[in-house]
Amino acid sequence: MITVERVTQTFETPAGEFTAVRDVSFRVSAGRFVSLVGPSGCGKTTLLGMIAGLLPVSAGRIVLGDRPVSGGVPPDIGYLFQRDALLPWKTALQNVALPLTIRGRPAGETRARAVEWLRRVGLAGFESYYPHQLSGGMRKRVSLATTLIYGPSVLLMDEPFSALDVQTRNLMENELLELWAETRNTVLFITHDLEEAIALSDEVIVLTAGPGRVKASYPIPLPRPRNVIEIRFREEFTRLYEQIWKDLRDEVQASYARATRL
Amino acid sequence: MKSRRATHARRASERLRLTVGRALLLAAIVVAWELGARAGVIDPYFVSRPSRLAQTMAGWFAGGFIYRHIWATVQEAVIGLAVGIVGGVLVGMVFAFFPFLSGLFHPLIVVFNATPRIALAPLFIVWLGIGLTSKVAMVVSLVFFIIFFSTYAGLRDVDVNLINHVRVMGGTRRDLMRHVLLPSALTWIFASLRACVGFAVIGAIIGEYLGADRGIGWIVQYGESMFDSNMVIAGLLVLMVFVATLDGSLGWLERRFSHWKQKPL
Repeated sequence: MITVERVTQTFETPAGEFTAVRDVSFRVSAGRFVSLVGPSGCGKTTLLGMIAGLLPVSAGRIVLGDRPVSGGVPPDIGYLFQRDALLPWKTALQNVALPLTIRGRPAGETRARAVEWLRRVGLAGFESYYPHQLSGGMRKRVSLATTLIYGPSVLLMDEPFSALDVQTRNLMENELLELWAETRNTVLFITHDLEEAIALSDEVIVLTAGPGRVKASYPIPLPRPRNVIEIRFREEFTRLYEQIWKDLRDEVQASYARATRL
Repeated sequence: MKSRRATHARRASERLRLTVGRALLLAAIVVAWELGARAGVIDPYFVSRPSRLAQTMAGWFAGGFIYRHIWATVQEAVIGLAVGIVGGVLVGMVFAFFPFLSGLFHPLIVVFNATPRIALAPLFIVWLGIGLTSKVAMVVSLVFFIIFFSTYAGLRDVDVNLINHVRVMGGTRRDLMRHVLLPSALTWIFASLRACVGFAVIGAIIGEYLGADRGIGWIVQYGESMFDSNMVIAGLLVLMVFVATLDGSLGWLERRFSHWKQKPL
């Protein structure tokens, strides 16, 4: 479970104090898939960074399970970054194995599990490839396997598929849902794409234009298992989309107006 | 499969053509030099000629004259290189992890690095004598800074994303060092290693040139003082082969350790 309580993040900048997120509170129950949507610059990534313990919180409190996040990275979380974060000097296999390697697992077990995870993300046979030899979608799969191999109970995802082409992206979204159906981690997924958020999630939280605050939260009562492409044709999907978009539109316009004024 | 084999065959034939072409080019230069010197078009007093050079060098190797000189230069360059690399890596690491120290010493390092090392050579000889030590000091003064800057840059310029990625999966400082920082620094260090070899030999030769009783630099300097261009050029040729061998083996080492890198298109 992720609990975010009245969290604020301010940065010192040359132009003075800058508030990235203000007074944000929400909760993700264990085993739920929740998306945060908001216009660019609303502090989505900042929020994720704070939950992962990579950024200190200026005010408020974050609790994972029953442990408050303070002074470092909490154990048992996974983070899928927007940009590739694979180590370029390690092969696909070595990258996937790294979380087990740093946990000091025996080499044989580590190797076997890494091979198995590469197979599960559809990359059997690519064990000895280096990241630069793989396509963007393949690198994403390796990243996903690297994040899932150690079974973190909380999974943070920062627009992980935004750099992929639409077809690859839909495939990856379906694969993510299939894997998640088995692992059932608590997922907090960030995106600026409302369709993606609705198709994947149990709940969608809309953030305001920066400084980000929670504007509204919508449960997504669509049945699972889902196919992210076909689910878009359902009437409920369209209805939910229209409903949430009304909220989001104002924020996108506010964000755009601010960006163009600068 | 068939097309791959064809590509392979085409590459092999290209390589062969290149090798044959290079050999012919070298042969043409040597023949032109020899004939030009014999015909009196160029003055062999200044540029010698290939057959005489070959004779001189054969004499050096057969008579055993050259070995102690090559050994002296190798020793100076290799010891200096080792000390410079180890020192550069250690100081680079300390400065990368302690920004205050780095700030404190920064002006000093910049000033030292800007000093022409050739100007220091006579000082080294006065301080450390005409033996091995002054040449090693010369080599170190050149190699140290190159490796220092590479290590520092390699450690400081690591992608923050990579660091966060390893931190989030539970990596400790030691894991970061082993899996992210050192491999990153190593690529920078390797990239500058070949330049270092060149500088190490230059350092050793300059040291020998200005005050020594042995070494390839000493041969060249001795030949010059006798107005013996044959000896000077033969000495330089030995030096060229020596550096090429060293550079070639480093290139091989570099390829072994950077196989993960994307080849430029």
